[in-house]
Amino acid sequence: MKELQPKVLSGRPAAQGIGIGKIWILADDNKPVHPEKIRNKEVRAHLEKYQNAKKIVTDEYEKIKQLPDDFDLGEIIEAQIQTLNDPEVEKLITKKIEKELSSVEYAIFSTYNDYIQLLEAADAKWANERTIDIVSVRDDLIQATKEKKRIFDVQAGEIVFANDISPTAMVKLSHINIGGIVMEKGGFTSHAVILSQSLGIPCVINAHWDRYNITRGNRAIIDGSTGQVILRPTRRQIDEYEKRREDEIGRFQKALEWSQKPDKTKCGSEFKLRANVEFLEELPKLGSHGATGIGLLRTETILFETDDFEVEDQIDFYNNVVESVNNDSVTIRLFDAGGDKLIEGSEGESNPFLGWRGIRMLLDKQNLLKRQLEAIYRVGGIHPGRIKILIPMISRIEEIRTVKKFCSEVQKSLELSGIAYDKNIPIGIMVEVPSIALMAAEAAKEADFFSLGTNDLTQYTLAVDRGNEKIAHLFDSFHPAVWKLIKMTKDAADDAGIPVAVCGEMAGMPEAAACLLGMGINDLSMNSSSIPRVKAVLCKNNLTDMRFLSEKILMAKELLEVHALLDEWRFY
Amino acid sequence: MVSKIVEVKNEAGLHARPASVLVKAASRYKSDFTIKMYGYSVNGKSILGVMTLAAEYGAEMELIFDGDDEEEALKTVVELFENKFNNQQL
Repeated sequence: MKELQPKVLSGRPAAQGIGIGKIWILADDNKPVHPEKIRNKEVRAHLEKYQNAKKIVTDEYEKIKQLPDDFDLGEIIEAQIQTLNDPEVEKLITKKIEKELSSVEYAIFSTYNDYIQLLEAADAKWANERTIDIVSVRDDLIQATKEKKRIFDVQAGEIVFANDISPTAMVKLSHINIGGIVMEKGGFTSHAVILSQSLGIPCVINAHWDRYNITRGNRAIIDGSTGQVILRPTRRQIDEYEKRREDEIGRFQKALEWSQKPDKTKCGSEFKLRANVEFLEELPKLGSHGATGIGLLRTETILFETDDFEVEDQIDFYNNVVESVNNDSVTIRLFDAGGDKLIEGSEGESNPFLGWRGIRMLLDKQNLLKRQLEAIYRVGGIHPGRIKILIPMISRIEEIRTVKKFCSEVQKSLELSGIAYDKNIPIGIMVEVPSIALMAAEAAKEADFFSLGTNDLTQYTLAVDRGNEKIAHLFDSFHPAVWKLIKMTKDAADDAGIPVAVCGEMAGMPEAAACLLGMGINDLSMNSSSIPRVKAVLCKNNLTDMRFLSEKILMAKELLEVHALLDEWRFY
Repeated sequence: MVSKIVEVKNEAGLHARPASVLVKAASRYKSDFTIKMYGYSVNGKSILGVMTLAAEYGAEMELIFDGDDEEEALKTVVELFENKFNNQQL
C-alpha cells in the first residue's frame, strides 16, 4: 500500500508552542442529519431514546457544572441545561416523532435548527455566540440517542482537530493535558484561543484541515508560533520538531528561573513587568511567571459573557482580580468594545476599526460608562491606591476631559451616598491612535499616565487592518514610524512628568522589550506566559547596550534594518 | 389568570443570562406562563422561546400566568424584571 505523503497546511498562529502527537478529531458539529421516516411501531422506541438521551446529557452537563471553580462558566452550562430541557422543544420533538414519524435524530436536529434560524433572524449581537451553544446541545443529544455514546476520550498529548470549540468542550479539554488545538474557525478573542494561551496549549486557527484525509491516530505536528500544521509527518520532521520543542521548553524553564529574581538589569536598573489579563482563570499563574500586578485588565469580554454587566457583578470581578495580586496595582481598561469585538449596534460598519469603538462607544452609552466607573471607584474604596483607570481609543484631547468629568460626577454621587471610594485613582489613556501620539505633549497635561497599545498604534499608523489576511505581511510593529511615535510619546510624558507603559504585544517580545527599556520605558505589560523570557533578557543585559540598541533603531529608515538590529537580541 | 406589563430594565436586554434566570424562576411554579410582546407570544418557561423575542432594553412585554400559584409566580417574576435579574443566583 502506498504511504500517504506528509501534508503541510498553514493557519494563523494563535497560541505559542510546539505540539507533536496523535490526531483526535472532535466530532464535526455541523454534520447534517438527513430526514428519515420510522414505522408506527418504532414510535415508542424513538420517544424513549429521546428521553434517555436527554437524561444522559443533562447528567453530563450537571457534572461539568460541578467541576472545580477555575472556570466561570456555570451560567453558560445552566443555560445549556435549560436548552436541553426546554418544554417547547420537547413538545415539538415529541410531535415530530409521533405525528410525522420522524426519526429521533432528525426530530432533534430539525427542531433545534428551527430555533437557531429564528435566533439568527432576530439579528441580535449575541445570537451568533449562542448558536454554537445550541448546536453543541443539539449534537450532544443526537450522539446520546445512538447506541454508541459520543466519546470524549481524548488522551493526554493528543492534538485536537475541530471545526470550532464550544465553551463546554473547552472546559473539558482544559482538564486533559492535550498536545495542541487546530481549529477550522476561531477568532483571536474566542474562549478557546485565550484559554490556550494562558494554559500554554499550542493553538492554530483558520487551518482548513478537513480538506485532507486524516483519521484519528494519524500523527500531526503543530507549531503555534508560525501557524504551521504538518499532517502525517516523516520521522525526520518529528525528530526536528521534537528537538525544537525541547529547546523551547528548556528555554522557558531556564527563563522561569529568572522570573523570581529582582526586576533589575545586569547593571542594576529597575523595571516592572506586569500581566495583561482577561479571564479570572489566568490569575493563578501570574505569581510563578513573575508578574508585578496587572498592567492591563481587559473588561469587554466580561461584558459580553454576562450580557448585562451590573455594578455588583463588576465589583465582584474587579475585587477578585485585585485580591489575587498581593499588594500590586491593577490597571483597569474601560470597556474597549468595537473593532473586532462586536457590541450591539456596531454591526455593519464598513470600517469597524475606524468606527464606533472604545471611548467613542462609551460616550454614547453613558449608563454603561457610569456604571463601570462606579464599580471601579467602589473597588478602589476597598483597595485604596491600587487601582488605575485606562481609557481606550482616545483620539482627541476633549475626550479625556469628558471622561474626567464623568469620574467627578460618579465620585460626587458616591460621596453623597456615603459609600467608600478611592478619591485618587489615576486616570490614564491608551496611546494607540497616531493623532494622540502626535499630540502627546498636550495630552500629557490631561492624563495621569500613558499606556502604549502597540498593536492598534501599528495598524492605524501603517493603515494595515490587522485582521486582513491579504495584507498580514504588511502588519509589522517594528516599522520605524511606530518606533518614532513611541519615542515622541515617551519624550512628551517625560517633559510633563507622567509615567509611560507599554501594554501591546511588542512588550512581550524580548528584543522589543530591550529596545523599549533602552528608550527609558521601564513599565511593560504582556501576556503572563511571555514574562519569563522577557525578564531573562532584561536581567542578563546592561542598560547601556539597550540604549545603544534603541538609538540605532530610532535612526533606521527601513524595516529590514530594524529587524537586523533586533534579531541579535532575539535569542538568549 | 393574572397579567402585568413590564419593561426590560437591564441595559443589554433580555439576553441569554437574564433569559436563563427568568426561565429558572418561572419553572418553579405550576402555572402556565406566557410572554406577549409585539404580537408574539411565547412560553415563558422555554429558554429558546424567550431568547427568540430578542427583547432589547426598554422593550415592554406582558407577563401572563395561569394556574393555582399564579399570583405568587407573577410577583416573583415581576421582581426579577425590577431588579434587572440582578441578585439571582443561578
